[in-house]
Amino acid sequence: MKTPKERLNRLRFRQTLLSRYLLIILFAFLFIPIVLPIATFAYVIVQENVKRADDSYLKYGSSSEITAMWHEQAALLGQADAASVDRKLEELRLKYTEASLFWVDSSGTTMLQLPPQERLPIHWSPADAVQFMKNSIDSDPFTIVSFLGAEHEGPAFMVMQIPRSIIQLDRPIGSGTPFYVAILLIMIGLFFLLSLLFFRQIRKRLIGLQAAMSLQGNQSLPQPIVISRHDEIGQLETAFNLMVEQLRESKERELAEEKLRKQLIANLSHDLRTPLTVMNSQLYSLSREPLSVNGQTVIKQMELKIGSLDNLIENLLSYTLMTSGRYPIKLEQQDLLRIVRESAASWYPLWEQEGIAADIDLPDEAMLLEVDKAGFRRVLDNVFQNVIRHAKSGSYIGIKVETYEGRLALVIRDHGNGLDAHTSSKGAGLGLAIVNYLLHEMRLDWHMASSSDGMTIYIFEQ
Amino acid sequence: MTASILYIEDDLEIGRFVNEHLQAQGYTVNWQRTGEGALTAAEGCRLVILDVMLPGLDGFTIGQRLKKAMPDVLILMLSARTSIDDKLQGLQFADDYLTKPFHPDELTARIEVLLRRSGARLAEPLAIKHLLVYEQQNRIENRDSGAEIMLTGKQFHIFSYLLRHLGQILTKEQIYEAIWGEAYMDGDKTLMVHIRYLREKIERDPASPKIIETVRGIGYRVRP
Repeated sequence: MKTPKERLNRLRFRQTLLSRYLLIILFAFLFIPIVLPIATFAYVIVQENVKRADDSYLKYGSSSEITAMWHEQAALLGQADAASVDRKLEELRLKYTEASLFWVDSSGTTMLQLPPQERLPIHWSPADAVQFMKNSIDSDPFTIVSFLGAEHEGPAFMVMQIPRSIIQLDRPIGSGTPFYVAILLIMIGLFFLLSLLFFRQIRKRLIGLQAAMSLQGNQSLPQPIVISRHDEIGQLETAFNLMVEQLRESKERELAEEKLRKQLIANLSHDLRTPLTVMNSQLYSLSREPLSVNGQTVIKQMELKIGSLDNLIENLLSYTLMTSGRYPIKLEQQDLLRIVRESAASWYPLWEQEGIAADIDLPDEAMLLEVDKAGFRRVLDNVFQNVIRHAKSGSYIGIKVETYEGRLALVIRDHGNGLDAHTSSKGAGLGLAIVNYLLHEMRLDWHMASSSDGMTIYIFEQ
Repeated sequence: MTASILYIEDDLEIGRFVNEHLQAQGYTVNWQRTGEGALTAAEGCRLVILDVMLPGLDGFTIGQRLKKAMPDVLILMLSARTSIDDKLQGLQFADDYLTKPFHPDELTARIEVLLRRSGARLAEPLAIKHLLVYEQQNRIENRDSGAEIMLTGKQFHIFSYLLRHLGQILTKEQIYEAIWGEAYMDGDKTLMVHIRYLREKIERDPASPKIIETVRGIGYRVRP
């Protein structure tokens, strides 16, 4: 079986667009030296055929045929008497009805005239004969003079006059020129049509290819296309299909990798949390035992540490997913304040427990933004978590909507010790990195203002 | 009344602890170490607590099958898998999702909430401040006077919704959408008006409410 690559290289020259293009160019070059003579030749042949057809159309044949006939008749009448000449002429007159016939005997007397003519002299002097001949040359009617006798020795002669329109078609010289020009025009038109069709076909296929590229099938990948012909565009189409195939494979690989990574993280999460859960439950059992005040404090401390370790694992795993672009973000138009209220509702009991006074002042109007609900909950969770962990001393959390640098911003404020307290404790950096990542993904911006009076976080649209 | 619980957990230490903890709370617990036979074991149980990472069938699969076979059984996922994806997948069929490590008190609190919310109404009346609420009979009694408090349909709806989420703060959007079944509109005062009338009926001093507490800027809460 041939691989597509082999097929690409084994393109026959006569299949190529190049060959067809060269053919057209060749045609154009041959136009003057070949097409013109061909046209001329065709013209001449056609003309000849037409002429022959004309001749056969003539009633009595061409002028030369009639002339030959007349001379022949004259030769036969060499020794005939006047009566047989008359009879002959009458006989001929019956056949050539349009002709005027007469004859002059050896004495120069005009004999039978069919029909009688006025202008003819009764007796022919040599001058009359010369005058008659002179008038007859190239005139209408066509005149044939023949001396009687086998050798046409004369002096008797007979004359036939016949209108030229009967023996000759009225066709001026050069009457075939329009035909000639038409042939040339048709040839030129044919040439243009051919090149137009050639380029139209190329264009159509290129546009088809472009449409196939912008069209997206499943997995948001372009679909392979049917290869129309094995020429250069056919090669392009083959290469395109090859690329689509590779894209699909890499997409599948990516999905498999993503699945594997998620599985790994899920396993890791399970393996790390199971011992924590066991520790937690054992601490709980321990706290049920009679213990000194100091013992209870230690248990409380350990529970806190387990909590923060759990949080750290969570953040670490999430951050791994996020930085590898595997964290699902689905942006939807939502009321940001509604998410804030719901999040605050779940944190409120904890704030109460920790003695943090919540000052929540959110307007009734919705603050509609394109956000991912779960992602934004995560942002708030991390920020609120940091407040509990690092700004408990301030006993305050304020959640408001204010203007920040001319924009409406969600403001979360604490009265802790500011940034130092947040960053010096391990784990906070990761939490804020997640906040940063998620907000960036949701096309939101944030600003952190810190002083010794506490920290304020502004979240606003980019 | 004690509810019986099916608990599926492969880890010995966690399993033993949770088993004992729940039994100490008065529940009848059937602890299984694999999901095999979960369907038969769940017969007659009110609630199933499921781990996700189990040998053989995983918790998600077991949970889905259980819910399909017995839609009335409550399912609480108890898992070390904390990713949003896992939670969303779990909550497609489960009634709650708790992540490990968990505090044992939180586990029991969630179980209680689940049982109450599901309509496993308590035979004993619920006592809240000066009120006695008989959930089964839809009856509210004033303990001071012994008189029954009559509520309108919407008022009773709102109050029982708050009671089902005892101790939980509910935003006005959540309450509105649960009771009226339609999306909450900005600045709608309907809920506020209903709560005011409700307070007039159940509070000793409607000006400083003790039962339905306003959490400023967030919503409302009824504390146990």
